[in-house]
Amino acid sequence: MSTNYYLPEDKVPLPPKHAEVLTTCCDYCVVACAYKVYRWPLGSNDGGPKANENAYGIDFPSNALQDWVAPAQHNVVMHNMVPHNVVITPNKDAKTVNTNGDSSIRGGLIAQKCYNPKTPTRDRLTTPLLRIYGILQPVPWDFALDIAAEVAKHVIAKHGANAYSVKTFSYQYIENTYAITKFAARHINTASFTFHDTPSDVTSTPGFRDAGFDNFGPSYDDWKNSEVLMCCGTDPYETKTILFTQHIMPGIQRGMKAIMVNPRETAGVAYVKKMGGLHLDLYPGTDTVLLGAIARVVLENGWEDQEWLKKWVNNKWESNSGFGQGTRNTPWQWRTTWGKFQTKGFEDYKKWLLSQPEYELAKAAEITGVEPEKIKTAAEWIAKPKADGTRPKSSFGIEKGFYWSNNTGNTNAISSLATICGAGGRPGQVVGRFGGHQRGGQRGGGLPRNKSPEKVPGRRRRALDTDRWLVSGHTRMAHVIGTTWIQAMCGSQGLQEAFQELVVKNPNQVRTHDKQEIIDTLKARADSGGMVVIDQDIYLRNPIGSQFADIIFPAATWGEEDFMRANGERRLRLYQKFYDAPGDAKPDWWIIAQLGKRMGFDGFDWKNANDVAEESSRFSRAGRKAYHMLKVYAHNHGRTLHEQLRLLGADGIQGPTFINDKGELKGTVRLHNTLATQEDCAERQGPNGPWGANMVNKKMTHFNSQTGKINLQKHPWSLFSDYWAWLKPQGEELWMTNGRINEVWQSGFDDQQRRPYITQRWPENFVEVHPDDAKTRGIESGDYVMLHSDRVPSHKDTIIGVYNDHFQFASLMERGHIELSKAAVTAVAVVTPHIKKGVLYTMFIDMRQPSNAIMPRVVDHISGNYNYKLGVVKVNKLGESKYKKEFRSMSFAPRNIT
Amino acid sequence: MTTKTHDESAAEHGKCMLNRREFMLYSGATATAVSTTTITLFPGTTQAQEARVVGYPRKLIAKLSELKDHEPVNFNYPDDNKNAFCMLVKMGNVKAGGGIGPQNDVVAFGSLCTHQGGPLAGTYKVTDDQRTLGQCPFHLSVYDLRRHGIIVSGQAYQSLPQVMLEVDGDDVYAVSMMGLLYGRNENLMAA
Repeated sequence: MSTNYYLPEDKVPLPPKHAEVLTTCCDYCVVACAYKVYRWPLGSNDGGPKANENAYGIDFPSNALQDWVAPAQHNVVMHNMVPHNVVITPNKDAKTVNTNGDSSIRGGLIAQKCYNPKTPTRDRLTTPLLRIYGILQPVPWDFALDIAAEVAKHVIAKHGANAYSVKTFSYQYIENTYAITKFAARHINTASFTFHDTPSDVTSTPGFRDAGFDNFGPSYDDWKNSEVLMCCGTDPYETKTILFTQHIMPGIQRGMKAIMVNPRETAGVAYVKKMGGLHLDLYPGTDTVLLGAIARVVLENGWEDQEWLKKWVNNKWESNSGFGQGTRNTPWQWRTTWGKFQTKGFEDYKKWLLSQPEYELAKAAEITGVEPEKIKTAAEWIAKPKADGTRPKSSFGIEKGFYWSNNTGNTNAISSLATICGAGGRPGQVVGRFGGHQRGGQRGGGLPRNKSPEKVPGRRRRALDTDRWLVSGHTRMAHVIGTTWIQAMCGSQGLQEAFQELVVKNPNQVRTHDKQEIIDTLKARADSGGMVVIDQDIYLRNPIGSQFADIIFPAATWGEEDFMRANGERRLRLYQKFYDAPGDAKPDWWIIAQLGKRMGFDGFDWKNANDVAEESSRFSRAGRKAYHMLKVYAHNHGRTLHEQLRLLGADGIQGPTFINDKGELKGTVRLHNTLATQEDCAERQGPNGPWGANMVNKKMTHFNSQTGKINLQKHPWSLFSDYWAWLKPQGEELWMTNGRINEVWQSGFDDQQRRPYITQRWPENFVEVHPDDAKTRGIESGDYVMLHSDRVPSHKDTIIGVYNDHFQFASLMERGHIELSKAAVTAVAVVTPHIKKGVLYTMFIDMRQPSNAIMPRVVDHISGNYNYKLGVVKVNKLGESKYKKEFRSMSFAPRNIT
Repeated sequence: MTTKTHDESAAEHGKCMLNRREFMLYSGATATAVSTTTITLFPGTTQAQEARVVGYPRKLIAKLSELKDHEPVNFNYPDDNKNAFCMLVKMGNVKAGGGIGPQNDVVAFGSLCTHQGGPLAGTYKVTDDQRTLGQCPFHLSVYDLRRHGIIVSGQAYQSLPQVMLEVDGDDVYAVSMMGLLYGRNENLMAA
């Protein structure tokens, strides 16, 4: 038997002295480590082991922490049509981010991402494809674009803009996201638009939004300099590795106390415990209760930061002053809770919190499954003043395990807990997201939310839920860009059925050679109630590309075009082109421009990626990574925006950017800098306030609220508890949650199936099962199991809410808007004590064994996001997998060994 | 897994190994030594014919009878130059990919982390029927010694280099290596 195996090589070419060196950053996680690309023509000599024989200028064998080239860091690519060696290794010159040139397993292997027909990247899309007689066949760009544009124009004219749905990545470089949003929002103006990770275009962290916290306000130094750090719903070692190893770990070694809120004990959590930290191993979805209980202990002991609360929290009058139009016009009222979150300031919050029975210690311990002593210890660490009366510097970081299990409740609760502890806006005392993908979004148009047919109780429209819209048959043309759409959403097998019905089972299928007949067929499909699908991607994805797409546009990506993007501390860098894109693949901005021009839209005449970036800059001015002044600075010095960013190299610049009165370019270390002095501001933007094109907004020195102070919000468990109680495991069911894994994180879109070493480590999806749960079900590590459920709730209708509770789960259920469906997904069992008893954990978004199929297709009724991390499932053994009996692939060792 | 499954797995696991031809293909190309060896690395292929493996030296590193369970023995391989630190361990009757001895439980690996060269000596761990090396003190990588040194959790770009072993009577020889040692551009480098 041979399974996915990878035979390691025992030698590697070293870059020679004559290799060209280009800077770039890793394509994957939010940290965006700096890398160097060494490129030299095949056949010109390789470097030698002596310092004077190689591009690193060091002797090999090298020392620990010095430069080294692993065999998987070498590849062969085409550059200007000539084969070249490339070696891609961490940039040892980096002074920030991956200081000392540290790297993760994902970035470390990024050379393998490059297209090379000898490797598993050989199936990159290299030419446009059109489905003719059921087969995706290569066609020229003009042919494919003409057809797509004609059908699109027809669909929009006949069925309205909302019939044209755009589902796109939000992050894959500023140039692309700007072009896509300009096309979809500004020109087509469809309300049926959203990003890869949510069914509707809504804020990911409503609690932060309403409190006034920017998701990415902190700098990486702030996390390092905290004395106490609470990490909710993530192990930063497994995800955003370098933030952990280069910033948080040194903090812990200097005495920082870390508190990990997570049902799993992975390597970073185990390290924290070993170093004296705390692990709050709660049941999924109960974070609000846990944080409520911690807040209660803080308030009962009078440990709150009174000075901070007095100075920086809205009182009754401030709380009511919204945008000059009263509080009803602020986002938290758009979410129609009518006072369920709003407080009249700290005392009101305290009174409310102490009146909530779920947040009493014993009750909270019962709901969350966390020992009461641990809850008390956590409260003491984050808030109890020291013997000398000073307060501990506490910071609070969250990620998706947390904000995708009770989206609104959890983000409200952490905002309030952080605020009473004095966090937010001071060095080492911050609150924010650690981050997922990199920050490459720049809007070129606004979502026309008022064109959404869905209304929540109160006055406001809610952003259209593109999944429900599609399932209901309103989407006549789906334009999918760089996402699988289906497996990335919840209850995904039901969504897949809808695609099948609307696309494949529709009688209007292309069975002709004639261009006009092809166009007419696809128009007839849309007119008959069916759907046409166009898909832009780098690989053919199953099923969105291989089963459903009528037209495929091959995209060029990282390393194949100059792109810019920011990381999780708003640090902007240039990701340089260093090799030829495969075949006819083109960057997404180019594809969108060709479509836009054909559809009669103006403003799509860009010559290159820099043109797009420069056009987009003025739209960035109000944003956290504002790069407009970077462009102005570049032009002042006779450079382009991309050239300027290239000069800034590995360390780039942190947005927002400014030019001061001396003409110097300035970045921003942290947002909400409440300690900023007048001198600091003058140094950044000039002594007389912002001049020229500089734009300074509230979030630089205050918070993003109506007053610039924090809204201290309630976080009632009751808004969520009906759903939680309904969902709670019954009989044989277990909680099911999911997430990423260190070896595959923000990189699954190419490495899990196409990087031999990673494929060997994780050849299939897995499910972690606690030994006690495994024993009663007769499951051992390496067994194939079936994860299945007949309780996958799906919210099926686009509705208009009238009464307060119309979107509450119990009400949706009662009024017949919830349909129960089934799901089944296989996985390889990993029996391990590092997952909490009663809980299963599996890989999020494995395309082949899509565990999201089991997760409820019911959005958080306040925010509109899916709660991806909370489901229930039955698990039973199917038989033994091949991995159980061989020693080449996978590993069943627990992840919490220290 | 129970002991029974270990036994069952013995037959299977030989089949998933690379064959002798592939093994030689992946050996060093530099002809610094020529030895004629019988490779007993792969259970199930012990009867294979003798073959010439060009490159790696054949080095006596231990006596089988003197190995104690869970007590790693350090040695250098393939030479005594920089970054040649290796460790050999008898893992207490738990079978392993590439394991030799009557229980197929003796394995050897390079003991520098393949991420950034951190020292892994002293990090051998027994956790139920799992055998691991790590966490690396630098960035916490952990490797699975039963599965050819594959990463369990961590940041390395490849498995730990595995030292190919052979047994001749009571003598344990290192005969080759799979994977590149940290810091080297080829395993067989001029001193």
